[in-house]
Amino acid sequence: MQTGLRVVVGILLLVGVFGLCIHYGATYDTNWPHPTGEQLDTDYEEYVDERILLIGEVHSTDPVDETLTIEITDDADEVAAEIEIHDTTAAVEPGGTVQAYGTLHGDETMTTSEIVVVNHGPTESQYKLAVSVVGILLAIGYFLTQWQLNLQQLTFNQRSNTIEGDYNG
Amino acid sequence: MAELLSHVLIAYTVFTVASWRVNWLTKSWVAIGMIGSLLPDLSRIGLFVTDATIEATLGVPFGIGAIHTLGGVVLCAAIGSLVVADHRRRAFGLLVAGGLSHLLTDGLKVWADGAASAWLYPLSWYRHPTPGLYVSSDYRVLVVVGSVAFAVALLDHLVIVDRHTSTDDH
Repeated sequence: MQTGLRVVVGILLLVGVFGLCIHYGATYDTNWPHPTGEQLDTDYEEYVDERILLIGEVHSTDPVDETLTIEITDDADEVAAEIEIHDTTAAVEPGGTVQAYGTLHGDETMTTSEIVVVNHGPTESQYKLAVSVVGILLAIGYFLTQWQLNLQQLTFNQRSNTIEGDYNG
Repeated sequence: MAELLSHVLIAYTVFTVASWRVNWLTKSWVAIGMIGSLLPDLSRIGLFVTDATIEATLGVPFGIGAIHTLGGVVLCAAIGSLVVADHRRRAFGLLVAGGLSHLLTDGLKVWADGAASAWLYPLSWYRHPTPGLYVSSDYRVLVVVGSVAFAVALLDHLVIVDRHTSTDDH
């Protein structure tokens, strides 16, 4: 395939990615069975007494009262709602992340039937980020030991020392 | 999702073991599969640019989470295959397979309501039941996956490479 044609096809595929993201964004709220931050912010009453799943960052904890408060964010990563969760002994500290599944109440509290601690604290999200960066470097590093960039054709070619055994494509 | 290192090591393990039976699946193509395992997490662009910012710019709804689905993987794999000099269908297949290994692994993690993410989008918004095997910050995932990948790499280097070099010269 000629370079020009590849560029055109690449641009069309990028448009396709944007189109997919636009469709996903437009249909998410009606297809995801639980409220988003925006929906909690604007239509809170609609979800009162419903069993819903919330994912949020822990704002505060009270081990004595066995409660914790989580912040639910919207698409702009702004806090859209603060929900207090009762009767939980989940081992989590402020800055951690939890999934809470249970019944939402009108006073911005929730009684959970299941709570999952995703990150016990902020250090765990840093751990995931750091380890993920190692993963990216490993994949790209290994790739570059096998392939080399041909700037003229804007392609990656198999390195000559790795092409053995790849005879009949 | 698990952290990306585990996803990359899972892809390495799966494609390396497959290479023991499939002659054309050389290390070059294993590397492509590993790159494929990164594709779903291109959605992490959202850490730098929020959906709301893009929505405000484009004037339409936007969900970067679409990339972390089957449809997103297929489209990103198609783009990725364009920059490979030859065997683009093979590259596409391996990029998709790498991305699928990522999505399937994510499909095993814990969700408080017992159902996985709707990763089959745009084919379906179905959320299959999840066995709830791990949470993304569980370091034991990396220990297990890393150990298996190390054993496979060792086996591949010490035993299998000899077999490949003796069968690849036709």
